[in-house]
Amino acid sequence: MFRNALGKTLRFLGYTVQYGCIAHCAFEYLGGIVVCSGPSMEPTIQSSDIVFSENLSRHFYSIRKGDIVIVKSPTDPKSNICKRVIGLEGDKVCTSNPSDFLKTHSFVPKGHVWLEGDNLRNSTDSRCYGPVPYGLIRGRICFKTELVLGASLLSCLSGEMLSCVSSVLEVCNSACWSGAVSEGSQ
Amino acid sequence: MFRNALGKTLRFLGYTVQYGCIAHCAFEYLGGIVVCSGPSMEPTIQSSDIVFSENLSRHFYSIRKGDIVIVKSPTDPKSNICKRVIGLEGDKVCTSNPSDFLKTHSFVPKGHVWLEGDNLRNSTDSRCYGPVPYGLIRGRICFKNTESLMLQKAP
Repeated sequence: MFRNALGKTLRFLGYTVQYGCIAHCAFEYLGGIVVCSGPSMEPTIQSSDIVFSENLSRHFYSIRKGDIVIVKSPTDPKSNICKRVIGLEGDKVCTSNPSDFLKTHSFVPKGHVWLEGDNLRNSTDSRCYGPVPYGLIRGRICFKTELVLGASLLSCLSGEMLSCVSSVLEVCNSACWSGAVSEGSQ
Repeated sequence: MFRNALGKTLRFLGYTVQYGCIAHCAFEYLGGIVVCSGPSMEPTIQSSDIVFSENLSRHFYSIRKGDIVIVKSPTDPKSNICKRVIGLEGDKVCTSNPSDFLKTHSFVPKGHVWLEGDNLRNSTDSRCYGPVPYGLIRGRICFKNTESLMLQKAP
């Protein structure tokens, strides 16, 4: 009877490890749901918004300028941050504050990206801690859910995802700010 | 017969994905074998040495000064580099070359580490590209070749 219980426990543990590993790889390589907090990406992403992030782009090195990415924080490795990619390696970026009179520029070093929040007045980003290594990027945000009068509205954050989910096309086209979101780097 | 073959193929794919995920998680969270190349860690690690790296320390944030770590390169995200941790966040490190007359020092920023190769004359490390964020660390080297000896810490 004891051996029976032991066998069952081990089998249960085996299945847990097995499906835990598969779930982990799914989150790591496909994508997952992320809850954002903080004001640095307003008005694009409000605090406690739920977003979908896909993790394939970073493995295929296809992160583009203007993408919103989830990045492991360079100042605190235990937390993640959510910012927009303003410049890729080799790009010229403005490193001074918007209120400064004299603008300073620099080039993004090889293997790094320049991140800024959409809410420039209330965002600690690359203007504070400098360019961020590409290796810290965890994923790219592609969808955001927004609760409007009890109904959920899926809003497209990237033009590339339009071809993947056809049922969301009509919703995205009618969302007047979807264009503003994908071109928010200007 | 076609449905039989299709079923078998899907089952085979299912098992491949299943055990692929388990193997990936084992490498990611436990450790694995790494082949090092390059002269920057001589004489501790020679080129094409086989070392065993454990990946638990970085998840428990227990990387210590003097550890040899595998790090995703800050200048090339597709490759890894192998260096020794000289300073953790808040430590004071010497940023000038050994041959310089005037020594310059700086403090390692929060969330970063300072890496240097053991072969200081032939190593591109933090003295070139600055402090490296902790999040880029992949694992810590604990054994070299088949000898079960702990790698000596730098004096």
